[in-house]
Amino acid sequence: MGRKILLVEDDRETADYLIRGLGEEGHNVEHVGDGREGLFLATGQSFDLVILDRMVPALDGLSVLKALRAAGVETPVLILSALASVSDRIEGLESGSDDYLVKPFSFAELLARVNALLRRSEARASAADPRLIVGDLEIDPLARTVKRAGRPIELKPREYKLLEYFARNKGRVVTRTMLLEQVWDYHFDPGTNVIDVHVSRLRRKLEDGFDEPILHTVRGAGYRLGQSG
Amino acid sequence: MRLPTGLKVALLAALLTLAANLAVVGFIRWQTYDDSAARIHREVIEEAAVLEAVYATGDEAALRRAITDILAVRDPHYFAAILDPSGRPEAGPEAGNVAAIGRRPAPGYRIGRLRPRGAHASVDAAYTLRRLDGGDWLLSGRSFGQRLAFEQTLERALLLALAIAVLLGLGAGYVLARYVNRRVRDIATVADRIGDGDMTHRVPLSGGDDAFDGLARQINRMLDRIGALMEELRLLTDCLAHDLRSPLGRLRARVDAALAAGDEARRDALLAGVTQEADSLMRILTTVLEIGRAEAMTPRAQFAPLDPGDLVAELAEMYEPIVEEAGVTLRLDRPAGLPPLVGHRQLLAQALTNLLDNALAYAPGADLALFARAEGETLRLGVADRGPGIAPEDRAEARRQFGRLNAARSTAGAGLGLALVEAVAHLHRGQLALEDNCPGLVAALVLPTGAGG
Repeated sequence: MGRKILLVEDDRETADYLIRGLGEEGHNVEHVGDGREGLFLATGQSFDLVILDRMVPALDGLSVLKALRAAGVETPVLILSALASVSDRIEGLESGSDDYLVKPFSFAELLARVNALLRRSEARASAADPRLIVGDLEIDPLARTVKRAGRPIELKPREYKLLEYFARNKGRVVTRTMLLEQVWDYHFDPGTNVIDVHVSRLRRKLEDGFDEPILHTVRGAGYRLGQSG
Repeated sequence: MRLPTGLKVALLAALLTLAANLAVVGFIRWQTYDDSAARIHREVIEEAAVLEAVYATGDEAALRRAITDILAVRDPHYFAAILDPSGRPEAGPEAGNVAAIGRRPAPGYRIGRLRPRGAHASVDAAYTLRRLDGGDWLLSGRSFGQRLAFEQTLERALLLALAIAVLLGLGAGYVLARYVNRRVRDIATVADRIGDGDMTHRVPLSGGDDAFDGLARQINRMLDRIGALMEELRLLTDCLAHDLRSPLGRLRARVDAALAAGDEARRDALLAGVTQEADSLMRILTTVLEIGRAEAMTPRAQFAPLDPGDLVAELAEMYEPIVEEAGVTLRLDRPAGLPPLVGHRQLLAQALTNLLDNALAYAPGADLALFARAEGETLRLGVADRGPGIAPEDRAEARRQFGRLNAARSTAGAGLGLALVEAVAHLHRGQLALEDNCPGLVAALVLPTGAGG
């Protein structure tokens, strides 16, 4: 499932590391070192995803992003930035990016987010059956009901939201930070294992009475619902 | 042209003194000159009128007698004479005391030179001439001698006064310049010392409570504030260095251990620990940056209206499982009808989670309450616990960046929590209140409603 990704990054080392890593995942990465060239390529060709460093020469990342959106280019954009404060993150997201990742990051975190973004653009393209199926798990987003092997599972609203996010990214790694951002809309690091506790509660409800585990812990990265795909 | 300030002040003072004195001297000169000229004119006219009256009622002989009588008084400045039609004085004592007049006779008042009888030099005088019936002239006048002498004395005195004024002006300018220079130099010296890095110097006050003292006080206040900030900054960097040292040390130890580890599972476990330490380092740095940004009021641009009750409810729900794991209860206290708040949702949530984390860490086993309450014009958002609390004398220390009450600084998570909470409170124009819960601690953001407006 090779996809076309544009990487706008002036730091040679980070760029090489990402090109190699994403290449190993089967993606086709085009790399430019400054913002003006990035904007030129992103408007001229069609990419599945743009990974944009916030501080690149010639034209800074947020300006590139604004120009892209102004030009009607709706390609998902992931911002990379060394600016880590909450207000910096909010500013990045408010300027039209789809995700914001703070440097330094682990490759697992980046990959999880890239896959989630690619998946989202796919889902946007195909308006399919609203039901979400993961193995023997069946989620109905309209009725907000969950069944496993036909047996209904009672979830609290937040647990349901958590599960739905997992299901929309089934088979892919979802990191703790992604969960905090997407399910709780908090863009700071809580510094406690609050997310893990929520996930293990959800897991208990999903797996109690079943032999087969369905919500897996991926060491050093996060969690994955269903078999890796 | 650039002149030293002292010289400029001196010159200005001298010039002003000179100008003021010139004005006074000029006025005196003008007034007295006018005055004496007018008086002499009046006297001459009056005295001439007396003689003319004699002539009008009598004849020329009576006039001559009158002249003789008047001259008998021997007023040395008075002149009276009968001149022949060509203007030459007649001979004889009854014909007056004038030997010659400087010009051809013409009727009326004039100022000119005339020579007294028996004298060799002419004097300045004012006189009137009147033609008599026989073609002769009647002269009556006064010499300027006395007036002129007076005026010359006056002029000399005025010039002298002017000279003295110039000297005094220069002197005053010099004194003033020295004074200003000294006061300015006091300030400049302090500025130099501060510039050299010695923050302890302050501008001395003269005690006169003048503008210089006002300036000095302002500068001293500013220096006090800068000093305090620098001290805080120094403390911050010291503590940052200290707090980064231990996780970095652990990080290094784990890397070393991982390098030495033979079996893969053990190495993986050690490397997972490395990631953890690196994350905790990142967290410390991010929090420090966060505090800095909040203190600089930058995030105000992201303020939006929010429901404080919903915020605490969300957080209570988020913390419910973790609180349950800790074996305590979290009570949510959010009365209906709270006023809306304009604020930074993310930072408020982060501040409240810090308070919750602190309560869980420092009041283990104690029940908690997360509350949002309206109190007068303020909104109180915070956490109350039933733990050991903080002694009143330790509360200031608790707010400090990196201040941590229990000596165990090795506990995970730097003591930045309350400092961030306080910075967030300030960002919303509010305060962090640390109060006694009898027993336990109430830590609350006390925010004015409509903050950020």
